[in-house]
Amino acid sequence: MRRLILLFAAVLVAALAAGGCGGGEREGASLTIWQTYNDEENPVFKEIVAQFEESHPGVTIEVVRLPFAGAEPKIMTALTTNTEPDIARVDVSFLAKLATKNALYDITAHVPAEFQAEILPVALQSCVLNGSLWGLPDQTNGLCLFYNRELFRRAGLDPDRSPVTWDELIEYGKKLTDADEGVFGIGVRNSLWWSLPFFYTYGAELLSDDGTRCLLASEKGIEAFQLKVDLHQKHRIEGGAWRAGGIQNDLGFQNGRYAMIMNGPWAVKTLENAGIDFGVGLIPAGPEGSRTNVGGNNLVVFRNAKNPELAVEFLMFVASAETQAMWADRLGQVPINVGALDTIDAEKHPYLPVFVEQMQTATARPQTQYYPEIENLMNPEMQAALDGTKSVKAALESAVAEIDKLLAGELE
Amino acid sequence: MSPTKQRTIRMAAVYVGLTIGAIVVLFPFFWMIVTAFKQPGQAFTPEIFPSNPTLENFKRVLTDYGFARYFVNSVIVATTAALFATIFATFAGYVFAKKRFAGRDRVFGFLLLSLMIPGMMYVVPQFAIINKLGWMNTYQAMIVPHLANVFGLFLMRQYMMTIPSELLEAAKIDGAGEWKAFMTIMVPLSVPIIATLFLLTFQFHWNNFLWQLIVTNVERLYTVPVGLALFRSQHEQSYTLIMAGSCISVLPIAAIFFFAQRYFIEGMTMGAVKG
Repeated sequence: MRRLILLFAAVLVAALAAGGCGGGEREGASLTIWQTYNDEENPVFKEIVAQFEESHPGVTIEVVRLPFAGAEPKIMTALTTNTEPDIARVDVSFLAKLATKNALYDITAHVPAEFQAEILPVALQSCVLNGSLWGLPDQTNGLCLFYNRELFRRAGLDPDRSPVTWDELIEYGKKLTDADEGVFGIGVRNSLWWSLPFFYTYGAELLSDDGTRCLLASEKGIEAFQLKVDLHQKHRIEGGAWRAGGIQNDLGFQNGRYAMIMNGPWAVKTLENAGIDFGVGLIPAGPEGSRTNVGGNNLVVFRNAKNPELAVEFLMFVASAETQAMWADRLGQVPINVGALDTIDAEKHPYLPVFVEQMQTATARPQTQYYPEIENLMNPEMQAALDGTKSVKAALESAVAEIDKLLAGELE
Repeated sequence: MSPTKQRTIRMAAVYVGLTIGAIVVLFPFFWMIVTAFKQPGQAFTPEIFPSNPTLENFKRVLTDYGFARYFVNSVIVATTAALFATIFATFAGYVFAKKRFAGRDRVFGFLLLSLMIPGMMYVVPQFAIINKLGWMNTYQAMIVPHLANVFGLFLMRQYMMTIPSELLEAAKIDGAGEWKAFMTIMVPLSVPIIATLFLLTFQFHWNNFLWQLIVTNVERLYTVPVGLALFRSQHEQSYTLIMAGSCISVLPIAAIFFFAQRYFIEGMTMGAVKG
């Protein structure tokens, strides 16, 4: 027994010695980047980093890849002990939080106005808070309408044409729904971000200009959400994807249960791999036309970065037209630099032009550090409205009352 | 109906009930294993057994994703931590159970209070300490903070209190020293609880995602839970890969339980039968 313990201790010491060594001093400028790219994006990003290092001899870049799920707590913990990196890739809502907590480097002065003009406006807006620029986008996306062409054919609908207005969607939905077979026209997710396209197509705003009031309970907002609720309650073309225990919209679409869903560019690869014959169309138009929400990620520079100008240069390199053209070409994502828009190969990425078109009419999310809390307050109320336990007006009004209280705490 | 027949029917009913229960409990594992063999994108198709089974997922997980490295790291961290935490808890439990000293019960109560603090509250202060010690990106950062395990201490003390002190006294009368008495009387009698504590601590460290993510910045030190999380991107997850990774990750715990189950069951039934 004693020998076993001694053996283990020896192994432990050896392992600790091996694990503990490593990392030496670096000569020349260096940058540390924490990113959350997925498996496809990671190799392309590594190439971009290598290109930057080549064009900037003497500069070494250390890239750490984090799982998306743990990135926020890790960055927040690192900030408390000043061990944060120079650059990090953060979700658009997280940027607002970091900027408000004064953790970021203000890059307004370092990015020339002409360069800023090259960036897709909705993407750039997600980096702006209180008039200053806090980062540059590296990815932008928004929801579009995915539809199953096979199911369209079977229902006698044109497989190359998605519904253009909400009324048309309801019409199509009725033809596509066969409740006995368990096939429904559409499946919707319940969360504020996934409901924003409904609100925006009716012209309802999320927050007032000064960020102190939530405007979703306005007449337009109620109308918009009523439409969403009616899809399930009144027209019976929605399959309950938002319910706990219901078939989620992604999976339902893959299994042919939902003929139409809203989804973003990230889903294209998976659906292609699963062999689904699908098409992508714009979000159906409401009174304000076809609109969608904006998601995505930004690259930010932290305030304590040792070489902030070099870091900003890197951000601009990633956002440049050439790099974005390569990014769009290799990954089929929407380029955030308008200079790269005409380099898109529609044959290689047949759905990309639709996403790009949709982003032209996307509505940027207002920057507030409370976005996650706002979602948490809205989601249960929206669930109640979808369930039918509350009327749309009552649900939205009670959510907005809570949100306004939350936002009021922002003004000290 | 004869008594034997009655008994048979009753036994049959019990067996059927237990079988159904076993199927319900084991189904998630079954699904995990089966999905790991499916083609990518086929995770949620209605077929139970893959029509086109593939080892590709396992291969990709081990080679492309360096999962083998993560697995080794987790084994090192979890085994070492479980071993030392169990040893410390055993010693401390013995002291709190069998020794007398001033303020013993008060100190124990105070330690128990610490169990009421949510684990998340420890993250930032412990991280600051790790940082000051210069232990970022090391194995000791993942192991050391959890070695003084109050829950383990509590388990050990409660169990050891049920071991009659007369046994210890008898050993002392026979000339055994302190250490000998401990090793020959207390430890062999406490094997069930020691095994249980080892497994619980091992399991905790095997699944400890957040802490292991926070103290490591280099992929070569990532552990299994962090590695599994890398399979999920912001909007979607590769289920077949995750399941393959999970299959691999479940092996050590399953192995430990398989070999040590005799002790767990012994421990659980120890108080059940009188005399």
